Amino acid sequence: MVVYNFKKIETVPTAADFIDVVLSKTQRKTPTVVHPGYNIVRIRQFYMRKVKFTHTAYSEKLTQILTDFPRLDDIHPFYADLINVLYDRDHFKLALGQMNIARQLIDRVGRDYAKLLKYGDSLYRCKTLKRAALGRMCTIMKRQKGALEYLEQVRRHMMRLPSIDPTTRTIIVAGYPNVGKSSFVNKVTRANVEVQPYAFTTKSLYVGHMDHKYMRWQVIDTPGVLDKPLEERNTIEMQSITALAHLHCCVLYVVDISEQCGFSIQQQVALFDSIRPLFHNKPLVVAINKIDVRTEADLTEAERAALRTLETNGATIVYMSTFTEEGVMDVKSAACDLLLAQRVEQKMASTKVESVINRIRTHWQLKTPAWVNDIIPEIMDGKNIMDFVDPDIDRLLAELEREEEQRVELAEMEAEEQDEDMDEERVEAQNTVRALAKSIRKKKGILKEKARMAKKNNHPTLSRAVAARTKSLGEFVEHMGQMGVRTASKALSNLRGKATLKGGADALPARERRAATAGASTERRGRSPTRGGDEDAMSTGGSSYADSMVGHKRARGDGKKANQVPRDRSSTARDAAKVARSRSPSASGLRDEAQQVKLLKLGRNKAFKMSKNGRIESDRRIPDLKPKHLYSGKRGNGKTDWR
Amino acid sequence: MAQGDYIELFRKRQGRRFDHEERTRKKEARGNHLNSAIAKKVRGLKAKQFNKKRYAEKAVMKKKIKMHGERLNKHQVAEQRDDSEAVPAYLLDREGMSHAKVLSNSIKQKRKEKAGKWNVPIPKVKPMGEDEVFKIVKSGKRQKKQWKRQVNKVTFVGESFTRKPPKLERFIRPAALRFKKAHVTHPELKATFNLDLIGIKKNPQSPLYTSLGVITKGTIIEVNCSDLGLVTPSGKVVWGKYAQVTNHPENDGCINAVLLV
Ligand SMILES: Nc1nc2c(ncn2[C@@H]2O[C@H](COP(=O)(O)OP(=O)(O)OP(=O)(O)O)[C@@H](O)[C@H]2O)c(=O)[nH]1
Ligand SMILES: [Mg+2]
Repeated sequence: MVVYNFKKIETVPTAADFIDVVLSKTQRKTPTVVHPGYNIVRIRQFYMRKVKFTHTAYSEKLTQILTDFPRLDDIHPFYADLINVLYDRDHFKLALGQMNIARQLIDRVGRDYAKLLKYGDSLYRCKTLKRAALGRMCTIMKRQKGALEYLEQVRRHMMRLPSIDPTTRTIIVAGYPNVGKSSFVNKVTRANVEVQPYAFTTKSLYVGHMDHKYMRWQVIDTPGVLDKPLEERNTIEMQSITALAHLHCCVLYVVDISEQCGFSIQQQVALFDSIRPLFHNKPLVVAINKIDVRTEADLTEAERAALRTLETNGATIVYMSTFTEEGVMDVKSAACDLLLAQRVEQKMASTKVESVINRIRTHWQLKTPAWVNDIIPEIMDGKNIMDFVDPDIDRLLAELEREEEQRVELAEMEAEEQDEDMDEERVEAQNTVRALAKSIRKKKGILKEKARMAKKNNHPTLSRAVAARTKSLGEFVEHMGQMGVRTASKALSNLRGKATLKGGADALPARERRAATAGASTERRGRSPTRGGDEDAMSTGGSSYADSMVGHKRARGDGKKANQVPRDRSSTARDAAKVARSRSPSASGLRDEAQQVKLLKLGRNKAFKMSKNGRIESDRRIPDLKPKHLYSGKRGNGKTDWR
Repeated sequence: MAQGDYIELFRKRQGRRFDHEERTRKKEARGNHLNSAIAKKVRGLKAKQFNKKRYAEKAVMKKKIKMHGERLNKHQVAEQRDDSEAVPAYLLDREGMSHAKVLSNSIKQKRKEKAGKWNVPIPKVKPMGEDEVFKIVKSGKRQKKQWKRQVNKVTFVGESFTRKPPKLERFIRPAALRFKKAHVTHPELKATFNLDLIGIKKNPQSPLYTSLGVITKGTIIEVNCSDLGLVTPSGKVVWGKYAQVTNHPENDGCINAVLLV
């Protein structure tokens, strides 16, 4: 919801101050040194920056003013009208419009001179152009002197406007001057309005707050109004009229019964009649004040008749005296209740009612209406009443229990039936399923644990591509086997063949190779004419699948026959070949495998030493900051950092 | 008093503090000391601004003192009194013109008439070389041709002007430097108007500049003064009039001119 306080509007400087502020800002925030010897581009840029800076400084400040002041079309009509009454709508709009125009003009000047500066061919010309630009901007601002002064005054006054919330529960106190409006407001709120025995003590709107029925209420004290046509009313009276016209509220019309205020009761009733259009659709309370001076009984017949006409117009008449405080609370509660009733009624009629309806309390339907006011005890006969509130609770409990029993019976019956028709076959099938489920669960557990381990260690992770490359063929085959693919040598002969063809024996990962050398060290690496066809040989890295052509064809045939081979065969083969290439000693410039192994060992030894010292190369290295050779001996003709 | 005016309310209810008058008087008395302390302390831009303000204040003060002094010596008033004849009210503020003044005025008038028809406010201008007015623009594939020129001064380009194909254009007149309006002062009305340019009559520097529409100080321009409502002796409305440029438009970013009447 919009909160109307105009305290946040920033100060509007006078024209002279405005210019001073902007120019000194430019002086402070842009470079100040330039020489004719500089490159012309640099000189141009120096002055262009000054012009642009001043331009933005001006337009920022003007924009600030334009956004700070409320736009009369956007704010609540009450405030729009109040501003119209107090500061003259046209004047206000004109002043803001002038600010807007000034901003546009300054924008244009800034743009034009930036363009002209592009063609500046000497420091002098650039400087005079800058001077002209700033001068013109300042002249534009100087012309706004009047508007700026007006806006500053408006701002100061607006800051002090009472913060009236136009949407909340509001009571407006109205009436002739000197009838005791302010006295009433002082009695029910802490507004501390001035009370004096002369007319027009209150000259502007005052707002106070009070509590009633645990709710906050806003009470607005208005200046007194006289009975005259609208055009003749002055600013003071117009404020009351504005409040009455635009705020949705309860109107509390105060009538002075003692006529101490200088107006007879008939006159006060006449005023009521003349401003009655403003009370349209609003709850109305007429508070007859000062009954300590003259009581209701003292009224003449004519006066009574006049007051009766008020009542026929839908007003509630309450008598009070703010002096003795008699009836003040009655007036307050009468007004509040009327307004509350109307607001609730309106809420019920509105479309938003669905969202709040559950908050409205519905009353119990009791046998005798007199019981409504009975006090319900918390504990009765040593028992908490709340435990027995639900009349159906016994019935519901019984129902629930019955249902439960039925369910138990049903379950027993089913179990018996099942036991009977269980035969051998089913048991076996069930067992296999169970075993399968168990293995799946186990595998899942392993995977989970693996993932956890991989996450736990704080080492750099391999990218997916590299990880794929480092996977060995054996791992791949094993994995496929676990997935249910037939990994017999026949089925995978194509893959094996490819791997061998590309990189010889080196195509196989190190682990397998090691096994192979252990198993058949005498065999020549790479191409072997014999073909190990069984699974065992394969898993130990089978060194002999050179007959690629045959293998290729066969594998293809197999693939077509049994759909157990991986779908994208060629890609797996390619991967394996890639592994082989990256790992071959010839690729890394080594003579043979033995050399590679040696290299590995040397590297490991080195790393071991380093890690034992707690140092890793180039990581936590502390360099020699003062090398001896640079700090001892005399200096010759050489450099200071090299001898 | 509005609800928020708590200071005023307080003053109304409680009054000012008991030594308020004394304090304000003392503060005012110390004001000069404070001012001089500031004057000694400020430096740079602040000093410049402060001194300017102070200077203006002092000038006002001196003027005021002088005015007070004038009221004391009454001889000037006495001199005016010895006019023997009664003068009508509309002639009251006129001083009798001395004979010598009339003579010198008439001589001046004659000299003026002799001087000729084209008596312009700025009769002489500083010559301006081509290297100042034109910037050489290099062209060609290897940027070695130097026959193109860019006009570096403010120009007026007629509305109907269309550029040659850029490749063949010898004189480039940048759009940023093309002006359409001039601030023209009427010397007798002592008023300035922002008028449309119609054309360039003559640039005293060279006929080339005239044909290119270059506007420099001393250039005679033709302006559209139909808005001014000037009328010829025969009763026709004048719409084009000549004016002479009095400033350096390229330095000021605007054209100021005096109407030739
Ligand atoms: N005897 C008596 N005097 C009252 C009572 N209420 C207010 N007055 C007096 O009436 C005078 C005017 O009271 P205000 O409250 O200032 O009246 P107002 O309607 O606010 O007047 P304006 O602000 O001028 O419109 C004061 O001198 C109060 O003391 C009352 O109940 N009994
Ligand atoms: Mg009052």
